[in-house]
Amino acid sequence: MPSSPAQDAHPLQSPHYSEPENSLNIPKIRGLDKNSPYASLASLPFRHSNASLSSLFASTSSLPGSRPSSSGTATPPTGIVAHSAFLPDAPRGLTSPSPSTLGDDADVRNLIVRSFAPHVAIHASADTEELLQNKGLRGGLLELLRPFGETVQGRVTIRDSTGASKSWDDFGIRFTGMRDGLESPRLPDRRSTESARSASNGIPDSVEGSTPARLRTGGDIPQIEEVVDRHLSHAEHHSRSDLTEYLNHSEAANASASPSASPFYSLYLRRLLSGLPVTPHETFSHPVACVMAISSRNPSPIEELRRLYASTTTGDCRLPQWVNNEFLRYYVLIHDEDHDDAAKSMSLYEQMKRHFGLHCHLLRLRSSQCVSSDDDSVKLPLCQWISAAEELAEIQRRESYNDDEDPTPCVFESDATALKSFVREMVTQSIIPTMERLSATWNDQVASRRRGISGRFMSLSKRWTPFSTSTRSATGPPSNGSGSNYDALQGFYRPDTPEATMRKLADYAFMLRDFKLAQSTYELLRTDFSNDKAWKNYAGANEMAAISTLLASQSLSNKARLDTVDQMLETACYSYITRCAAPDSALRTLALGLELLKLRGASAADDAARWASRILELRLVGPIGHALVTERISACFVSRGGVGSLHWGARRRKAALWAVLGADGWLRLEKDLQARKCVDEACRLYGLNAAEGTPLAFKGMRAFVDELREAVRALGMPGQGVGSEEEDREAQREGRADDEETLVEVSETLTFDQPSPVSHRESLMGTVQPAFEPLGDLPLSPSRLVQQRDDGFG
Amino acid sequence: MSYYFAIIGTKDNPLFEHEFGTSKQGGDGIARFRDEARHMNQFIVHSSLDIVEEVQWGSGQMYLKTIDRYHNNHISCYLTAGNVKFLLLLSPDTHPAAYTASSNTQRPSSAALARQTSSSLAANPTAPQTEEAIRLFFTEVYDAWVKNLMNPFYLLNAPVRSPVFRGRVMAAGKKYL
Repeated sequence: MPSSPAQDAHPLQSPHYSEPENSLNIPKIRGLDKNSPYASLASLPFRHSNASLSSLFASTSSLPGSRPSSSGTATPPTGIVAHSAFLPDAPRGLTSPSPSTLGDDADVRNLIVRSFAPHVAIHASADTEELLQNKGLRGGLLELLRPFGETVQGRVTIRDSTGASKSWDDFGIRFTGMRDGLESPRLPDRRSTESARSASNGIPDSVEGSTPARLRTGGDIPQIEEVVDRHLSHAEHHSRSDLTEYLNHSEAANASASPSASPFYSLYLRRLLSGLPVTPHETFSHPVACVMAISSRNPSPIEELRRLYASTTTGDCRLPQWVNNEFLRYYVLIHDEDHDDAAKSMSLYEQMKRHFGLHCHLLRLRSSQCVSSDDDSVKLPLCQWISAAEELAEIQRRESYNDDEDPTPCVFESDATALKSFVREMVTQSIIPTMERLSATWNDQVASRRRGISGRFMSLSKRWTPFSTSTRSATGPPSNGSGSNYDALQGFYRPDTPEATMRKLADYAFMLRDFKLAQSTYELLRTDFSNDKAWKNYAGANEMAAISTLLASQSLSNKARLDTVDQMLETACYSYITRCAAPDSALRTLALGLELLKLRGASAADDAARWASRILELRLVGPIGHALVTERISACFVSRGGVGSLHWGARRRKAALWAVLGADGWLRLEKDLQARKCVDEACRLYGLNAAEGTPLAFKGMRAFVDELREAVRALGMPGQGVGSEEEDREAQREGRADDEETLVEVSETLTFDQPSPVSHRESLMGTVQPAFEPLGDLPLSPSRLVQQRDDGFG
Repeated sequence: MSYYFAIIGTKDNPLFEHEFGTSKQGGDGIARFRDEARHMNQFIVHSSLDIVEEVQWGSGQMYLKTIDRYHNNHISCYLTAGNVKFLLLLSPDTHPAAYTASSNTQRPSSAALARQTSSSLAANPTAPQTEEAIRLFFTEVYDAWVKNLMNPFYLLNAPVRSPVFRGRVMAAGKKYL
């Protein structure tokens, strides 16, 4: 979606948009501190519930529990515990996630596969941008093209390395700006490079031009947290407005027995995988192709195209030297249907084809602005793969609109059709064939040499013979003594080295969904990178090797999984965190590994839960992510069904524990809807009926679960201020020693007349004994046992 | 190191609970659990029953060793012949912030980790010496448990209220852990 937060509409707003100190000055955003997700919790701004804003939240606003279930009880049993009785032999432990039984789990796999899509940079001439600005698209060509690239219309057929063709319905590409993803999404960058870029792009104001590119960079965890928080608050706000539905929903949630991935978790994952920054250690976000666009208004079109080409190879749009610059150039002529002569454009297009070869396209667009009242207008679809910063900007932009008018730009239906067919033609006839060709070439020339016996010798000789360095130094960088191609000073491989080529091959194969080739290539790279001590590359290769292994093999024995995948995930995680200080990459590794393991059901679900709790132990996520991941662990354990009628080997109690923890986490964040969901889930797993008392035998557990339920019930009450829930919970905690009635009474007094909750609390604390000590403060002295008799153990 | 010991009956009901601290290396034998760890211990021990029920079929031993962990708490299990489980939760004191979901984003300091991984009995829950000490502890408690079962006034699956039994558990804890 339009990343540019009002380049011309709100001059106050745009220049330093993502810097906290300035965003506070924006009057319409009501004291919202962009910098921290926590701050926005304290000062929740009032939200307009206009239609345009809710359309942004549409992805998560369906009621939880309404999605298809994924119980996975049919999967064959296995165990993590090495000598499990439920794991008779290895072949029975093979699991293959069958799409029919796994409703939304298949969605997660899809999400992961789709998130690594080829990136196509867009480089348009000044007159093109001007044409599109007149059309009402402030983001220019990028804004127009981006939604259409996310899913290519129709089926896309890709040949893999063995020559077999496979068709995909959901193939997509990502359109990016030429220099997107290079800057960190939060820190203000140097202005000098920015102004150079915008000048070449023809955007008049150089400072404003810097904002969208930075916004389009993802991978920043606090921003992801804040986006998800916004979605959560929106959901809460709407559920509160309709109380009866809300209360009825709790029964409905109890009835529907199986949990599914919460939409907020999918959102978190999606934002984590959107807007991958351009880094030297992986090439997913390096452009696979570049669209060079001119319009029919241009007086000297061929020269303009040459100029555009030159600026990407040598000029100011040149990508950093670690990006391979040999990507495909695709030349587009945008014909203005309303003003220009079609015959002239056709002849120009023929001329372009003569000059630049077959990778050309004539795109016919109308140049007049389309308004939603036009009868053949369609709304520009919303982008799904936008980075967190972009979505935040969009939410804030729409919040500042007071009227109900939808700010989404419209295009003519004819334009939309033209754009769809343009994207399809470009992908199927240019981009995919080029990628296939390149990966075949690299596979033959570079990677296959390294496979097999001679390849091993080569890598050995490379390491041990001093003579081999001299032969390679002709192409490689000046030798740095150790004989490796790795430039340790600057921390990257030059794009012409075999290692960089192989990494690119592996990434291409991954993006083309040839996971077997990707996996074998990543395997080769792991040893190379580890020998060269290129730690970030090493971590990346391990990460992708683990993920492609999980994606490639439908069946993977327990032992193989433990040996390879676990170790690779472990190494990747360790290298990212300890050696490279890249916690966001580590989070991506663990999240992807966890999801793919969970898909395998059975014993892999245990591993999934283990990796998820690793995320928590390493404190890779903020409070929102913490609650979401906790919920996810519970789902992992639930997905591990037991054997037979007794459900041997199930993880019911573990799932319940994590559901309780999730509920606690959500209550801390005052998200009562989510907390209610978790409490319901926990009660279901513990076998507690919501109506009657709890048969949990442990007193402390019972007290805690009761307290959570009570807190959730109190939160659901109408007419309650946002800030008072925490007080209620505190009060309940402290008032727990007495029986049920007093507790409700206490919470209600606090609820309805709270002149100063703190004083209430103090009085409570003074009189009432601390609450949920299962064993009392002196639990173990025999003299007290008599008193404990009737309430100690049930 | 703090310990939480629970005897759990056949219907997931606690028969006996006891908290104590280490007595080795100058420990005073007092458990240092934080307030929320009191109920968390119960949750953790309860949840590791899932693992016990799986592991028990794969091993002929009564002492199942360390079967589970939750953050840095380790759980050891001893299975009696009557399907009553002894569960011991070991929790190193050095790192009080790690029990529950705390929401600050900084990672545990390396110093705390280093202390945690030092290899003395009291500090390292995974060392073989600890494993052996726990085995001895369990054996002694099992001894007392069998005697307790022989009491004609004791009902099966009922909570144990005998002060003598509690005293024996305390003594065993003091002796070995």
